[in-house]
Amino acid sequence: MLSLKPLPPNHNPSLLHSLTPFTPPFPRTQTLKPSKHASPPSAIQSALQWNRKPELAGETPRVVVITSGKGGVGKTTTTANIGISLARLGFSVVAVDCDVGLRNLDLLLGLENRVNYTLVEVLNGDCRLDQALVRDKRWSNFELLCISKPRSKLPLGFGGKALVWLVDSLKQRPEGSPQFILIDCPAGIDAGFITAITPANEAVLVTTPDITSLRDADRVTGLLECDGIRDIKMIVNRVRTDMIKGEDMMSVLDVQEMLGLALLGAIPEDSEVIRSTNRGYPLVLNKPPTMAGLAFEQAAWRLVEQDSMQAVLVEEEPKRRGLFSFFGG
Amino acid sequence: MEMAALHLPSFSIQPSPTFAKHCVSPHATQLRAGFVIFQCPSRRNPPKSGSRMIGFRLLKAVSDSVSSAEGAAADSQDEEVVTSDSADDFPADSEDEKVVVTSDSSNDFPADSEDEKVVATIDSANDSPDSKTLVVVAKLQAAISPLSPFISSMKTYAGCNSKAIWLSTATAIFLFIAVRVYVGMTQKSKHNRPGTVADLVRRGQLRSDRRAQGISSLKYEDPFNNPYVKLGKSNSTVEMCGKVYKLSPVTLTKEEQAIHQRRRSRAYQWKRPTMFLKEGDSIPPDVDPESVRWIPANHPFATTSSDIDESLAQTNVYQKHGVPFRIQAEHEALQRKLEGLQQDQKLNKFFIDSDNAKAYERSLKLHPKSNEAMDQNPSANQDGNSSPSSSNSLSSSFNSTAPSDELQKP
Repeated sequence: MLSLKPLPPNHNPSLLHSLTPFTPPFPRTQTLKPSKHASPPSAIQSALQWNRKPELAGETPRVVVITSGKGGVGKTTTTANIGISLARLGFSVVAVDCDVGLRNLDLLLGLENRVNYTLVEVLNGDCRLDQALVRDKRWSNFELLCISKPRSKLPLGFGGKALVWLVDSLKQRPEGSPQFILIDCPAGIDAGFITAITPANEAVLVTTPDITSLRDADRVTGLLECDGIRDIKMIVNRVRTDMIKGEDMMSVLDVQEMLGLALLGAIPEDSEVIRSTNRGYPLVLNKPPTMAGLAFEQAAWRLVEQDSMQAVLVEEEPKRRGLFSFFGG
Repeated sequence: MEMAALHLPSFSIQPSPTFAKHCVSPHATQLRAGFVIFQCPSRRNPPKSGSRMIGFRLLKAVSDSVSSAEGAAADSQDEEVVTSDSADDFPADSEDEKVVVTSDSSNDFPADSEDEKVVATIDSANDSPDSKTLVVVAKLQAAISPLSPFISSMKTYAGCNSKAIWLSTATAIFLFIAVRVYVGMTQKSKHNRPGTVADLVRRGQLRSDRRAQGISSLKYEDPFNNPYVKLGKSNSTVEMCGKVYKLSPVTLTKEEQAIHQRRRSRAYQWKRPTMFLKEGDSIPPDVDPESVRWIPANHPFATTSSDIDESLAQTNVYQKHGVPFRIQAEHEALQRKLEGLQQDQKLNKFFIDSDNAKAYERSLKLHPKSNEAMDQNPSANQDGNSSPSSSNSLSSSFNSTAPSDELQKP
C-alpha cells in the first residue's frame, strides 16, 4: 500500500492525469529540487514522496538482510527491486545473493550471463573481490555478488566468517564503502540462514498475509532477535485488496497485529512481477510504473530514512452513481 | 341466412370511430376506412397482394356471437361481418349489403383467427317494414362497418402493443428485483462461506476485538497534487488506478511491540552455532554440543576436504590489488616447470654419439690437456643436470671441436 506525504507549497501542480513515461527525478550528484529547465514534469515526479531525496539515516554501510523463513514469499524480488530503487535514489548498493545452492538474484536482475566469479572463487584465490562484483550497466552504483555457483560448495565452518570478511573488505575498498549492503537470505533456518544473518545489523522480514507464512516469519523474527538483530521491519507482499475487502484474506493491519513488527511496506499483488522476472528487468524500472513498483519505491524510501508506515490503504466500495450520473450528476 | 337475419338485431352496432367514447383520431378513421377492405394477414399464411377474401366463417362466427350475446351482459363485444370484393374500393353504394363480423378480443376466436375476417354477403330481399328497418339498420351498419374491422384491428393491435409493453415492463421489473435479491443473498452468503478471516478468528489465530476494521478513517491534510490520487470530498478516501481506498491508521504501539518481543524470547531459545559438522562426524572433546550444527553430507556447505586455510581465505578476501593468490601460485608453478624444461633441453644438446665420440677421442689425443676436461664431461652428460658454469665450459669446449667434427662428417 502507499503512504502519502504532503508536497511543499511551491511544488508545480501541473501534472498529467494519464500515465507518462518515468524519468529519474534527480541526477546522482544533486540532492533536492527538480530543475526548472527539465523536461515537462512527468506524472511520476508528482507521485508520492518524490519531492525530495531521502535522507540517509544510520551508520554506513547499512547491512540489511532480507529474510522470510518461508520460501516463495518474495525475498529475492524484494531484494532486487529495493536494491535498484536505492541505486536510482543515488545510493551505492551491493547486493549479495547468499543462497548457496539456488542462485536467483542474478536472474531477476538480468545479470546471469555476466556472473563469472563468486565469493567461493575469491576465497580460493582465483580472483579478487572487485573482479567478482558485477556492476549493473543500467545503474553503475549497483553491484551484485553471488556466493557460489550452483555446483560449487562453500567450505564448512567459515561461511559466516566469509561474509564478515566480505563486509569488512567492502568497507575498505579504494572507491569507498557502499552505503547499502543487501543480503538475500535463503529460505529456512539452517546453515544458509545462519550464514546470511551473520554480518547483518538490521533485517527486513518479507511475509505474505497467510497463516503459514506468518508462523514462519514469527519464528525467524525470534531467531533474529536471539542473534542480536533488533531493528526488524516487515514487508507484507502479495496483498490482495479485493480479498481483504471480502474478508477472505487478512489485512495488513492483522498481519502487523500478529507479528508485532513495524511496517516497511505493503506490496499489492501484481502480475507484472512475473513479466519483469521473465525479462530480467526489475519491476521498479517499468515505464509507466505499476502499483507494486511504486510500493517498492516507497519501501526503499522508508528503509533509507529508517521510517515505517503510519497508515495503510484499505479498499472501499466504489461510490454508487445515481440514475443520472451519465449526465454528469 | 335466415338465422343470420333473425339474429341480426342481436348484434350490437359498432359505434362510429369518431365517437368520443373511443377517442379515435380522424387519421385513425382514415386508416380504418382504408383498412376495412384489407384482410388482416394471418400469422401463418400472410396474404398475397391483391388477393381476395378467402376465409368464410360466418356460420361459426354467428353462432359464437349468438351464444356470447345470449350469455353475456349488455356490453358484449361488437361483431360485424364484412364483405369485400376488392382491396381498393369500398362500395358504399353497392346494392349488396355488407355486414362485418369481427371480434375485438381474442376470447372467442383463436389467435390466428383474430387476423382473419369473416366475410359474408347478405342479400337484402325483404320489403316489409320490419325488413325495411332492418335494411336501414343494415345500411347504417354497412356504412359504419368498413371502419370497424380496422378499428377492431387497431384495438387489437393496440391491445397487443400495450400488452407487450406491460409484459416487457413487468419482466424488467421482475428481473431487477431478482438480481437485487440474488446480490443480497450472495452478500449474506459471504459471511457464511468457509475459508474467510472469520475462520482464523475462530481458530484463535486472530483476536476479533483487536481487528482494526472498525476504526475511523484517518484524514490527511495535504492531498498533494498527484494524478494517481484523487481525494474524496470528505478528504478521507483516495482513488487510485480505478479503485477507491481509505486510509486506515497503524495501531501497533511500542508496548505491544515489547510484548511481542518478550513472547518470542520465551518461545525461541536459540544459540548461534560455532561449528558445523557433517552427519557422522564426531564432536571434538572441547566443543560444546549445543554450539554444533549438523549438516547433511549433501548440503552445499559440506566439503570432503578443505584445501584452503582460513587465514589464507581471509587474506584472499581482503586483497585489493595484484594477482589473486591461486593464479599467482599457478603461474609460479608453471614458470618453474618451464624453466626446468628449458634446462632439460639444454642438457640434451650436450649429449654425445658413439661415432662422434671416437672422432672426438682422436681429436682429443691431439690435445692432451683437453682430455682431462673430456674425462669430466661424459659423467656430466650422463647425469643430464649440468650447472650453467659447467655447461658454459662444455659449450666452449664443444665449440672448439665443432669445426673438426663438421669436417669429419660426410
